[in-house]
Amino acid sequence: MATNNTILQVSELKTYFFTRLGVVRAVDGVSFGLRQGECLCLVGESGCGKTATALSILRLVDSPPGQIVGGEIKYHNENLLRSTGARLRQIRGNRIAMIFQDPQSSLNPVLTVGEQIMEPIRLHLKLGHRQARDKALSLMKQVGIPQSAERMAYFPHQLSGGMKQRVMIAAALSCNPEILIADEPTTALDTTIKAQILDIFRELKQQMNMSILFITHDLGTVAGIADRIIVMYGGRIAEAGSTLDIFDQPKHPYTWGLLNCLPTIAERREKLSPIPGMIPSLIDPPEGCIFHPRCQWRMSVCQQAKPPEYVISGEHIAACYLYQKAPASAGL
Amino acid sequence: MRRITEVFGGRRNLLFSGLLLALLFILLLDLFFVHHIFSPFVYFYLCFALVIVFYGIYPLYVSRRLTRYYWDRTKRHHLAVIGLVFIIFLVAVAIFGPFLTQDPTKVDFPNKNLPPVGFSAEQSTYDRTTGQFITRETPGTWLHPLGTDDKGRDMLAMLVSGTRISLQVGLMATLIAIFIGLIMGVVSAYLGGWADNALMRFTDIMMTFPFFLLLVFIVFIFGPSLWFIILAIGLTGWTGTARLVRSESLSLRTRDFIMASKSLGASDRRIVFHHLIPNVLSSVIVIATLSIPGVILAEAALSFIGLGDPTVTSWGLVLQAGQRSLETAWWIAVEPGIMLFLTVLAFNFLGDGVRDAFDPRSQV
Amino acid sequence: MERKLLEVDNLKKHYPVTAGLFARHVADVKAVDGVSFFITEGETLGLVGESGCGKSSLGRTLLRLEEPTSGQVFYKGRDITAWNKKQLKELRREAQMIFQDPQSSLDPKATIGDSIGEALLIHGVTSEKERLARVEALLQRVGLEPGHATRYPHELSGGQKQRIGIARALAVNPKLIVADEPVSALDVSVQAQILNLMLDLQGELSLAYLFIAHDLAVIGQVSSRIAVMYLGQIVELADRDGLFQRPLHPYTQALLSAVFLPDPHRKRQHIPLAGEVPSPIAPPSGCRFHTRCPRVMKVCRQETPIFQPIDKDHLVACHLYDGK
Repeated sequence: MATNNTILQVSELKTYFFTRLGVVRAVDGVSFGLRQGECLCLVGESGCGKTATALSILRLVDSPPGQIVGGEIKYHNENLLRSTGARLRQIRGNRIAMIFQDPQSSLNPVLTVGEQIMEPIRLHLKLGHRQARDKALSLMKQVGIPQSAERMAYFPHQLSGGMKQRVMIAAALSCNPEILIADEPTTALDTTIKAQILDIFRELKQQMNMSILFITHDLGTVAGIADRIIVMYGGRIAEAGSTLDIFDQPKHPYTWGLLNCLPTIAERREKLSPIPGMIPSLIDPPEGCIFHPRCQWRMSVCQQAKPPEYVISGEHIAACYLYQKAPASAGL
Repeated sequence: MRRITEVFGGRRNLLFSGLLLALLFILLLDLFFVHHIFSPFVYFYLCFALVIVFYGIYPLYVSRRLTRYYWDRTKRHHLAVIGLVFIIFLVAVAIFGPFLTQDPTKVDFPNKNLPPVGFSAEQSTYDRTTGQFITRETPGTWLHPLGTDDKGRDMLAMLVSGTRISLQVGLMATLIAIFIGLIMGVVSAYLGGWADNALMRFTDIMMTFPFFLLLVFIVFIFGPSLWFIILAIGLTGWTGTARLVRSESLSLRTRDFIMASKSLGASDRRIVFHHLIPNVLSSVIVIATLSIPGVILAEAALSFIGLGDPTVTSWGLVLQAGQRSLETAWWIAVEPGIMLFLTVLAFNFLGDGVRDAFDPRSQV
Repeated sequence: MERKLLEVDNLKKHYPVTAGLFARHVADVKAVDGVSFFITEGETLGLVGESGCGKSSLGRTLLRLEEPTSGQVFYKGRDITAWNKKQLKELRREAQMIFQDPQSSLDPKATIGDSIGEALLIHGVTSEKERLARVEALLQRVGLEPGHATRYPHELSGGQKQRIGIARALAVNPKLIVADEPVSALDVSVQAQILNLMLDLQGELSLAYLFIAHDLAVIGQVSSRIAVMYLGQIVELADRDGLFQRPLHPYTQALLSAVFLPDPHRKRQHIPLAGEVPSPIAPPSGCRFHTRCPRVMKVCRQETPIFQPIDKDHLVACHLYDGK
């Protein structure tokens, strides 16, 4: 259901890692579209393939061992999987920018933060030093770095974690990208700092109409920022839909599990209801639906074949045989 | 329930000490009463073998699963496996070879400068009957498969003897060096404060100490002896290990499992011997494997320039003898050169494999 | 009447900062700077704070895994700060610790059986057979198989490793466990399993926990009382409901408002905190929170607020409540 303002369309993406122990099917047939000005959240636990999906979009998967073995990634009308290296370098950082989890290791320790923000500006926008500097200053102000003129001369180690993440965001925004991919940008940060950073993302979306692909494991973060949510498990989409769909009418047993196992401050539950078992190995995943060994609702069919994505309503889909009667989705 | 870390406690330790004492007793008996049943070297080897069995093979056997895990990881490097096979071959040659070959010191002038099998060389010999030099083509013989040198000594025997010398020097000197390095490093890291400072400054001084000058002095004072060379290399070569062990120990000390052990009430002794040392040991093994070739080369170099022990046939010595007759008898220099090259390469390959296997960062 | 298991009185832990060749002492990192609280038998005290507030140092110092700079810690009424090695070993049987990172809290070169059995060995269970039996019982107790005893840490998942960390702590039958961020390195679905396990064990063995975490939702799930720490000091301490429903200290209010609920309908009234946590080497004068406090007053910059009870069991260190 690619609507007109879909600017990035991922279809049947498959990214495998060929390790010595076997083939890790990190992303195994994932399709979704990202629209202009929306925040789409990829949610899942470690090893669900959310980061591999993001890296695949920019073709940043380490190869070897990683390889995109199938699918299509359409940015406007261009299939990024077919693009040349030169074209990709034009897109990376310029049209599609990415922010990583650990601001500590994503900044170069021997360059000042000013130089690091100015680097993409000079590279892609071909601005002179003076103009690049002005632009960098305004970006730093935009992401809420106080005394920005002074801090441009700082080295990363002189800044706190929250400030470093702001610098990363400023650098990512430097060329007014259309799409911002943020891989767990708040996970390494403290609660109060996390709130500040999320506010920046919210402003970016509202004021600059930016499309954000936000990757996180934390459903709490998602609730406050997402327009649509994709829940991933074992390299596949378990459920996808609008934020309200996912939180108010979750359909997939894994989503139920995720929502139920969270402690909340609103009420104290006598006992949390965890999802039993462990996250499966992607080298030797369970037959059929990958979630079936941990699922309380499993049926015999779940152990035989991977469930297709069934349409629940509108763009709410769930890959679960409980909804067999619903029509199969033609892709989100 | 046993572990690799139980190396330093319990029955095994007792048995080891007992055997070591017995060995010492026989040695004393030998020296003062019976007089030289075996050469003192034999005692040293036996002692060395005891250490290997008790603290090398036994722990590896006890923690089979871990051994298997590391072996599987090492195995992925085909070159490392090839290196290991070659090293095992060398060790076998060093141990059993000298019993099977001729005496490497036996001089046999009529058969001098014989080429290896499959080659032939022109040689001029003095014919007594005619009183003239005649030049003739001499083919290699199976009696001396690798040929002979300019004194008619068997090359194969000399290479085998050289293997023993090289491995002796490489293994012993490295063992001494890493032992000292390990102790210095762990003690330094564990004591901290001024003791750490003092030990590390001492290490710095040792590092700047001209090892070569020391050797020249030793040779000058005591005369050239293999044992002094081993001791000299061992006693000066520990500085790198000490620094590595210290920094590894310092980073390990902040790891939670050390803290967990402490919170269980473990004594300092227990933490050092059961947690710290087994965990730095993997890096030490790597550094040891990679430093053996350096030591072997150092010994060869010393022999080559004439500072080696002239009473033993080492590769360096043969090499040096060969370079004088490079034009007429190339094999005398080339053969020990190849051995040296292959041995160093084998240890380096193995070292790389072991390093990757032990490296916690390469988890795949 | 509940008995106080552990009482901490004005505990301080300063780490010296040294410089130069001769390790000249130039300053102190005041990681824990005058903390007082108590834990009764069988209860869970949650300790919440952001990174660098000194909560981990506090956990380690009160078990004397690190030596306190000053102050006293009473375990069952006896001051343990003066205890010698032998007496400390006794403490180790009573008070244990669970660590954050299951990866680094297990010796990679030791089997699981050895890691758990070490505690038994240290405390005098020398029979190998008995040790094995106890280790297997412990493994089953934390939801693993007896066969895991011969495995190595690299063969297990994060959740399994954390279960082993718990089994190791339980090996000596402790009465108090300091759990330092025990679930923050785990995936959410596994996190709930571990929290449930810890709650079950508490009920069964009447354990007391000092549960250290940065996540208020996790803390709220397990704790009966909660202490909020900021820059080396406790700024508020109250029972769970009291703290969540009526937070008094502006820092607690901000922390609570910044919690992300998995509920898109709830509009957060987020109290933004300006700036960042100051350095614990030179903490601000007066109230340490005054540089970021939205309700800062003149007095806050000059006078250190007293940590005093406002209600029954609700203590706070804030000038807003002076004279109330």
